[in-house]
Amino acid sequence: MGLKVIKKIINGNQAISIGAYKGNARFGSGYPGTPSSEILEHFKNYPNVIAQWASNEKAGFETALGASIAGTRSFATMKHVGLNVAADPLMTASYTGVNAGFVVVTADDPGMHSSQNEQDNRRYAKFAKLPLIEPSDPFEAMAFMQYAFVVSEKFDTPVILRSTTRISHSLGVVQFDPRTLDNEQNLKLQKDFRKYVMIPANAISRHKVVLDRLEKLKLFSNETPINKVEKGKTNFGIITSSMAYNYIKELLPNVHMFKVGFSYPMPIEKIREFVDKLDEVIVVEELEPFMEEELKIAGINVEGKKHFPYDGEFNLDIVEEGLKKAGLIKEKTTKVIFNELELPKRPPALCPGCPHRPIFDILHSLGKDIFITGDIGCYTLGCLPPLSAMHTTVCMGASISMGIGASKVQNKQKIVAVIGDSTFFHTGIQPIIDAYISNANITVIILDNRITAMTGGQPDPGSGFTLKGEDVKPIRIYDLVKSIGIERVYEIDQYDYESTKKLLKEEINKPGLSVIIPTRPCVLEPKKIKEGPLIVVSDKCTGCKRCLRIACPAIDFKDNKAIIDEVLCTGCEVCMHVCPIGGAIVKKEGK
Amino acid sequence: MNINSVLFVGVGGDGIITASNVVAYACMLSGFDVKKSEIHGMSQRGGSVSASVRFGDKVYSPTDKMGSVQFMLSTEKVEMLRWVKYLSRDSIVVVNDRIVPIIGQAIDEGSIDRMIERVRVKKLIKRKFIDDANKLGNSRLVNTIILGLLSHFMDVEEKYFVEAIDEVLPEKLRTINQFAFSYGIKLSKEYA
Repeated sequence: MGLKVIKKIINGNQAISIGAYKGNARFGSGYPGTPSSEILEHFKNYPNVIAQWASNEKAGFETALGASIAGTRSFATMKHVGLNVAADPLMTASYTGVNAGFVVVTADDPGMHSSQNEQDNRRYAKFAKLPLIEPSDPFEAMAFMQYAFVVSEKFDTPVILRSTTRISHSLGVVQFDPRTLDNEQNLKLQKDFRKYVMIPANAISRHKVVLDRLEKLKLFSNETPINKVEKGKTNFGIITSSMAYNYIKELLPNVHMFKVGFSYPMPIEKIREFVDKLDEVIVVEELEPFMEEELKIAGINVEGKKHFPYDGEFNLDIVEEGLKKAGLIKEKTTKVIFNELELPKRPPALCPGCPHRPIFDILHSLGKDIFITGDIGCYTLGCLPPLSAMHTTVCMGASISMGIGASKVQNKQKIVAVIGDSTFFHTGIQPIIDAYISNANITVIILDNRITAMTGGQPDPGSGFTLKGEDVKPIRIYDLVKSIGIERVYEIDQYDYESTKKLLKEEINKPGLSVIIPTRPCVLEPKKIKEGPLIVVSDKCTGCKRCLRIACPAIDFKDNKAIIDEVLCTGCEVCMHVCPIGGAIVKKEGK
Repeated sequence: MNINSVLFVGVGGDGIITASNVVAYACMLSGFDVKKSEIHGMSQRGGSVSASVRFGDKVYSPTDKMGSVQFMLSTEKVEMLRWVKYLSRDSIVVVNDRIVPIIGQAIDEGSIDRMIERVRVKKLIKRKFIDDANKLGNSRLVNTIILGLLSHFMDVEEKYFVEAIDEVLPEKLRTINQFAFSYGIKLSKEYA
């Protein structure tokens, strides 16, 4: 076969999946989470691969580790906070090592475009003593992913590949030969009691293997071509990695640069050599001073966070400001002519017709004596005014458990826990068992729209289909919860506003545990739902603004009357139910 | 380093990702190196959204520097104003004359229009593109019409846009969008 090069413009996540395939990975698992979700969605399209969503990141990690030990190159994908969930297997998989290559992809979110924190997962590499690889653009994302499998097998270790939002969701021109380049490896399933059974006796000796491996990786980090010097013309130097590399290349095209692609363990000796020849060296890295600390521990004279922020996402302006502070550039290259204007902010909102809306409107209207513990998903938007019906959001699955705690120590506030279906399957099942066993006095609302909506509509165990689009019998949350032994469990249609309100009010005021499962599907995924729109009868509308309180993007207010955008309206009728004037909001005729 | 940039801004659901993909593809076909950034996830639920397409001999950063973009395409007026710090005196701005309401906020369209008038750039085209799209029989064609108009000012040949539309859009939408694109090019005569 001749060389067949493809030139495409692709994003970092597609690139990672291409790299995985070219690196001979044939098994991928994980849990959706922005900005990582598209990796598996793209990987599933390759021939002869197995790609499947797991119910959480820990399960996804372990599934892929199992595939590796059984002889197939595999990987797991997740967002940064997902690796917290998978931290348990991560720490010990470092001890077991791998059979076939195994890579864990973490997509961090500096700037928190879609996350609850901006933790820097490079720390996990040091914590677990695992090699860390960081691409800086889509081309490297592809090439480094492929390379990660080689490193994994060479050193018998899981490898962490770290992307960030700006790498995963930026597109670049990539040229590649689509074929798998490595020789097909036929590894056999490995049974090795001393290596894979981490009872203390075995783990004690495996820990020594890990320490020995780390020494070898330190040498390798100085040799690998992805840690490289880019010669320039300055008497100062920059050490950088990941996205920050691009900002430096654009702002200081002639600088002496050390580009780090293999960032744990750091290439200490190679960097020492680089630094020795220069007057001054600055480390430019997003979020934590991870590289800076490693270099300072090694006694290398560099500075970094003295000039650059610890928080937030970098961009050309922030990096230029830091370089100016460090005295490496004199003046900014562009002037801001038009200053920032005072404008109303446009926060995201629940979609028109979103089935979560009536629940939050009802919870809001039930008054101040309710404490609502929330969770992670589209429905977290229920915290924003005017719905303002969520008082905590910490991490996946925390709603029910935090609700149990709050209910145990006080009884003035009624406790309501709100969680979505995918989050419930992720880490909500154990807490609901705890709620039952501890006889907690809470009302749990499981918003079952049967999809992982916020991340773009990935199937969960209640969806009835898989990542590959195959039909599967869905798990009915009602049956699952009933089987625990909980007696008061209700499936409801929340578009039936009055009955929903009545039930919620009753259950919240009754002692003991109850579970309410609103069952309307997501209006966007897996298929768009749109029925005939509603209209405001202008003569009848009194301008009371009650309908504005449901925070529907389809409703606006002009000349003292509500108006409904017929293009946006999906016909859910929630506004019609909350309107105190009969006949002021009606279905458009003929629809 | 000579880098050109098109900044797309608007409201989640406006089709900014697709429109910016067309431009990115056209730039690549025309022989430029291209980087593009976009944001997915939470911000897509009706919030402010943006995407950048940067092209040149060699491009590193996928995001823009303040005061530096050559072109801005905005699907909404408030969002255009939100991003003014990225504009320079040499910028060309095309904005759809439309306001998307913000929940719980009253927006005074008159004052928004006055703020836009004060943005003195090389060229600012504010137009109700929805009227053009409706004339073509489909309100979803707004972005492609704007792309046609914008392409006239860019250093990328029309044929590459035509090819990019075919590459990026699903087959059933190609013909109508090609038509909308050439309609947009014709509009540029009004703004020469």
